[in-house]
Amino acid sequence: MKKIGVNVLKLDALEKVLGASKYGGDYSFTDLLHLKVVRSNRPHAKIIKVELEEALKVKGVERIFTANDIPGRNLVGIIQKDQPVLNLDRVRYVGDPIALIAARSIEAAEEASQKVNVIYEELPPIFSPEEALQPFAPLIHEKGNLLIEFNIIKGDIQKGFKEAEVIVEKTYTTTWVDHAYLEPDGGIAFWDENGRLTIICPTQNVHYDQREVASFLGLPLEEVRIIQASTGGAFGGRLDITIQCFLALAAFHLKKPVKIVYSREEVFQVISKRHPLKIHYRSGAREDGTLTAVEVDILGDTGAYASYGTTVAIRAAVHATGPYEVPHVKVRSRMAYTNNPWSGAMRGFGVPQIAFAHESQMDLLAQTLKMDPIEIRKKNALRVGSETATSQTLIASVGIGETLERIKEWRDKVSCLKEDPERPYVRRGIGIGSMWYGIGNTGIANPSTARIELNPRGEVKLYIGVADIGQGSDIVLLQIASESLGTELGEIQLIRADTSLTPDAGATSASRQTYITGNAILRAIKNLKEEVIKEASHLLNENEGDLFIEDGEVKHRQKLCLAIPLQEVAIRAKKTIRGEGIFNPETTRLDPDTGQGIPYATYAFATHLAEVEVDIDTGRVKVLRVIACHDVGKVIHPKNVIGQIIGGVAMGVGFALMEEYIPGQTVSFVNYLVPTSKDVPEVIPILVEDNEPSGPFGAKGVGEPALIPSAPAILNAIADAIGERIYHLPANLERVLEAAQKSKQR
Amino acid sequence: MEITLKFILNKKPVEVGVPPHWTLLRLLREKLGLTGTKEGCGIGECGACTVLLDGMPVNSCLILAPKVEGRRVETVEGLGSRESLHPLQKSFVENGAVQCGFCTPGMLMSAKALLEKNPKPTREEIKEAISGNLCRCTGYQQIMEAIEAVGK
Repeated sequence: MKKIGVNVLKLDALEKVLGASKYGGDYSFTDLLHLKVVRSNRPHAKIIKVELEEALKVKGVERIFTANDIPGRNLVGIIQKDQPVLNLDRVRYVGDPIALIAARSIEAAEEASQKVNVIYEELPPIFSPEEALQPFAPLIHEKGNLLIEFNIIKGDIQKGFKEAEVIVEKTYTTTWVDHAYLEPDGGIAFWDENGRLTIICPTQNVHYDQREVASFLGLPLEEVRIIQASTGGAFGGRLDITIQCFLALAAFHLKKPVKIVYSREEVFQVISKRHPLKIHYRSGAREDGTLTAVEVDILGDTGAYASYGTTVAIRAAVHATGPYEVPHVKVRSRMAYTNNPWSGAMRGFGVPQIAFAHESQMDLLAQTLKMDPIEIRKKNALRVGSETATSQTLIASVGIGETLERIKEWRDKVSCLKEDPERPYVRRGIGIGSMWYGIGNTGIANPSTARIELNPRGEVKLYIGVADIGQGSDIVLLQIASESLGTELGEIQLIRADTSLTPDAGATSASRQTYITGNAILRAIKNLKEEVIKEASHLLNENEGDLFIEDGEVKHRQKLCLAIPLQEVAIRAKKTIRGEGIFNPETTRLDPDTGQGIPYATYAFATHLAEVEVDIDTGRVKVLRVIACHDVGKVIHPKNVIGQIIGGVAMGVGFALMEEYIPGQTVSFVNYLVPTSKDVPEVIPILVEDNEPSGPFGAKGVGEPALIPSAPAILNAIADAIGERIYHLPANLERVLEAAQKSKQR
Repeated sequence: MEITLKFILNKKPVEVGVPPHWTLLRLLREKLGLTGTKEGCGIGECGACTVLLDGMPVNSCLILAPKVEGRRVETVEGLGSRESLHPLQKSFVENGAVQCGFCTPGMLMSAKALLEKNPKPTREEIKEAISGNLCRCTGYQQIMEAIEAVGK
């Protein structure tokens, strides 16, 4: 393989270092109108009246839209359509949109937005999922405040705990986390020359956006075109509709180009968050460390709208045991509506939260049993032939054991002096965190379609709907295509993430694009090759059976001098030859009562080791180094994989130690801290390539797995350093200091 | 009301009319069409809008446009060209320092200011120099390696 496992230059990097790459906010038109959203300042209220008169008097205001101006369905949502684009009679969180201003200048739009007067009638707000699920609690949505309850029942939980010789039972909580992608949402909309309403914006899924915008406007699908702008990070925050429908509504009515750019404050206020989860976890094990039972109760806060709440509840439950074989499992996972900001998809869909719990439990079990934390994990680690909590038998590519083995080698090298004679206030510790992560959506169809063509001009064009959000899917998918086609990378033109040109690849989420679209590309190329052989047989007057394709050329089994480049076939045939491929991973629907089934076709695995230093006088934690060992299947582009891992660790440091979104208070990076260059540890990535037979050249995925084990490893390292465990994320200065003091008192 | 400003932008003199309350960032992006400089927060917390003012890295969202009268401003567009990349640009591409790319222009300008002052910085000095530039994708390591590689 020449193109797989090598570091080729990332396609977009050149444009980006030149400052030439265009993000949503970089687009402009001369006669542009600027948009500004008027939002609710109440968490829960009826809208009695929206007074627009004063706002309309502001010079430069072109028009103000309300829900009454929406021609189609005024509800969006990836799973449940429960979120109005503009609210007519009710608001459910501080930030809920009510009106949309279009003006000739940003200043006019801003000024008018201050002058819209909304008269409310307050409704009792609910700020916790426990409150929301009380009998007779005020209803946030008509169907009730419980969004979902999902259960996993495997074996006999009572029997499992009877067999246990030790039981550890604890409660863990996590809070809201913001994606903090660096580019505030911004984009433009206009009618193109073919009469299509066109939107250029940051997104993780152009085809989803297209469906939502079309039904919102009541337009046929083909009259809406979504083009992905260069996207300044996403991490799940751009899976939901953000600015698309606002742009669509204004351009639809005004027939002029329109632009919207959110302020950072607005991004903090209105973009989805990571779900806060409360996790009650009970584990049972034999004296030798073998897990006998795991019982978990998860309660999450999805906020005002469903978004990905259902997905997070299910995915957290499915991954609740961690990468371990457990014979008896019972999980109840619920998600409730509240009047808090809405939570949605964020890198890992609930797995980073649940991993914090299962990895703390493993260390507590090891401590109780006086076992080595790595040994107890190895003893229980999934392997080929193991059965998961959903009774899926793993048949290949289960690299968790090897990641533990490799981390053990490192751990044995790390001589960790707990104390520093020079600095008596410092304690050092090391911690382990492991994880597993199912690639693709959970137990539901999530296909991707790819198309490739050779045209009579001798061009090779690959059409994929995949949104590259910076992680580098463009180059990875081109590598897969180029290897399979036998052509040079530079010979293939990539056309991507434009609904009018590319087929539907589904979302850039769930670490799925390398595996799923990679496979769709392989199928498209197989199909293309068949078509090329047919065409060549016709052109050359040879039997199809005598022809084959090798190294990008059509060859003849007997006539060894015959070798025609694939492109040449299309040129000579004077026609475009196309190949199309669809791939949908093999999963089954999970049983609605017991959660049993095959949620994913394959899983990624990882183990991190974190070395930390804790200042017991201030509570400050410094993560010194993280050894991050990942089984991603075959590595297609090492530098990209390593980039994901190092970036994931940094996000994990934030999740572990500092990131805490507080509704109503968090408005900027002044009070929402994300790791800077001075906060991140040295990261040593180790790649384990346990090839996945169903993956493209053996690949799986890495985007979310990169983040997941870091926080658990850091939290375990803090416990190792100070001898006291923290059960609430983030482990900020106050919590660490409190734990350190508790430890001193003992 | 607009005032006329004269200053040196990417080594060339410019003369431009601008409302006096505009920031340098807005002037660059909206009047001069230089959208390479990004706005990530608008209050000087993220560093995405970093440009060099008389060789010093500044957050252009915090500098009022009239302040640059008679001074020297450098943006990412002045760094190198497609045909002839600046060594830092080349190194960022080669070292995997670019993911979403939104922090990249500001990061490059902070790095340039550092290397002009200190051609062979240590890892700690690099960390310090880019500590005002947030990056959410890369975890900074490959960025630091890219800067280090140019310094060597």
